[in-house]
Amino acid sequence: MRTFADSNPIVVSVYFVAVTSIAMFSANPVISAISLIGAIVLFLMTNEKKEVSTHLFSLLLFAVMAVVNPLVSHNGATVLFVINNNPITLEAFIYGVCTSATVVAVLYWFRSFTIVMTSDKLLYLFGAFSPKLALILSMALRYVSLFSVQLKKVQASQKALGLYKDDNIIDSFKGGMRVFSIMITWALENGIITADSMTARGYGTGKRSRFSLFHFKIDDVILLCMIPIFSAVALYGIVGAKFEFYPYFSVPEISMKLAAAYISYGVMILLPVIINIKEELKWKYLKSKI
Amino acid sequence: MISIENEKLRNAVKIVVPFLAVPMLVVLGATLFDERRHIIISIGVALLALVLFAAGYEKKPIGSRRMIIAAVIIAFCVAGRFIPFFKPITALTVISAVYLGGETGFLIGAMSAFLSNFYFGQGPWTPFQMLAWGMIGLIAGILAKPLKSHRAVLLVYGVLAGIFYSLIMDVWTVVWYDGSFRAELYLTAIITALPHTIMYSVSNCIFMWFMAKPLGEKLERVKIKYRI
Repeated sequence: MRTFADSNPIVVSVYFVAVTSIAMFSANPVISAISLIGAIVLFLMTNEKKEVSTHLFSLLLFAVMAVVNPLVSHNGATVLFVINNNPITLEAFIYGVCTSATVVAVLYWFRSFTIVMTSDKLLYLFGAFSPKLALILSMALRYVSLFSVQLKKVQASQKALGLYKDDNIIDSFKGGMRVFSIMITWALENGIITADSMTARGYGTGKRSRFSLFHFKIDDVILLCMIPIFSAVALYGIVGAKFEFYPYFSVPEISMKLAAAYISYGVMILLPVIINIKEELKWKYLKSKI
Repeated sequence: MISIENEKLRNAVKIVVPFLAVPMLVVLGATLFDERRHIIISIGVALLALVLFAAGYEKKPIGSRRMIIAAVIIAFCVAGRFIPFFKPITALTVISAVYLGGETGFLIGAMSAFLSNFYFGQGPWTPFQMLAWGMIGLIAGILAKPLKSHRAVLLVYGVLAGIFYSLIMDVWTVVWYDGSFRAELYLTAIITALPHTIMYSVSNCIFMWFMAKPLGEKLERVKIKYRI
């Protein structure tokens, strides 16, 4: 089974960049709404944790940001009510809702992005750009877990030496500083040994290559070709049609161009969902044949 | 990647890119595009700045020892970000930059932001965090002499770094929310972020006060012992 998350990292990142930048670039409430719905659907599909609290923050953010704009911006012709001699207008409120929809949509896209693009995939992308930086990053990632193991050892030995007292704040702080100092020394010396070992094995003598498990398959190529086509159609339609917020909220007329833009953006948003469902069906079908 | 052989020219580029080229691009982008498109430009600028730095970094023949030391400090920064409320990233970046130089400081700051966001969530804010922490490290490397000799200067730098980081992230908040930069929204963002700004500055000072000696001494020792 090859889901959207298993596609080549280059394809996945191009997809996320295209989808989010169109949503941010468009200033078009319809695009924002499509984007928000698609983002939430994808997040629900990729996220394994099914807790309500993960969505609560976004909802709160949405509400706060929708309210902030009418409070600071007093443009617009339709006054709803007046607070402290400041008119609160309908247009500013609509504008606030639209922008916060975009912001929350992008937030959801990036939450899915964080789940789909694991660190090994991002290091693969980084490695294409600079192998040295990718090496530093992957070593630092490894050190994080190595240090936490070593930290526990150091703390245990300090405790065994009787140098740790938990009931006294000053004492435990001093103990913490001592442990930090020990950890720094150990980590730096350990790093130097690693570096010398790498040099001894010939690091830096030749051109640095990298290993990766990711290959371009025919599905990836098709997906990679579809993204720019859909994006171009969407952008072509959006650029001509402008939503006016001030002084009156006005909606541009629906033309063929605009309708095509909405449809192509919608299809692009649904691509991962379509791929995942298709793979799911294929899996079920193959299983039923056994 | 373009390599710059001339020493003077390379130093000039190092100053021109972050302090002149990036602000100019922002202003040009603001005048050429109409409203609500600034977010794309600002993300682009942040990325561009990082790419330029990475290009310069890759060019320089950096010893594997220095590279590993940078990875070690980055790992400490990432681990330190798990401490609730008080974040030692800035303190660690600044102290390492003072002893290892501005270039390494930039690398440590930027890469700590990038790497810790694997745990805290990547987003369009990542380039901004990378840029903010990278710049704090770079400037600390430039001001290495006064920062090394007086601890008071170090603490003042910590306060300023906290404010600087907060101001940059507020710019990002406003541009992200509105698509364009509005002064009144920026002011609102600064006021709402005030508790965070104070928190950053205070935690920077606390960590710098306590870390300056142990970390500094050890970096100095490693530098002398292994001639990094």
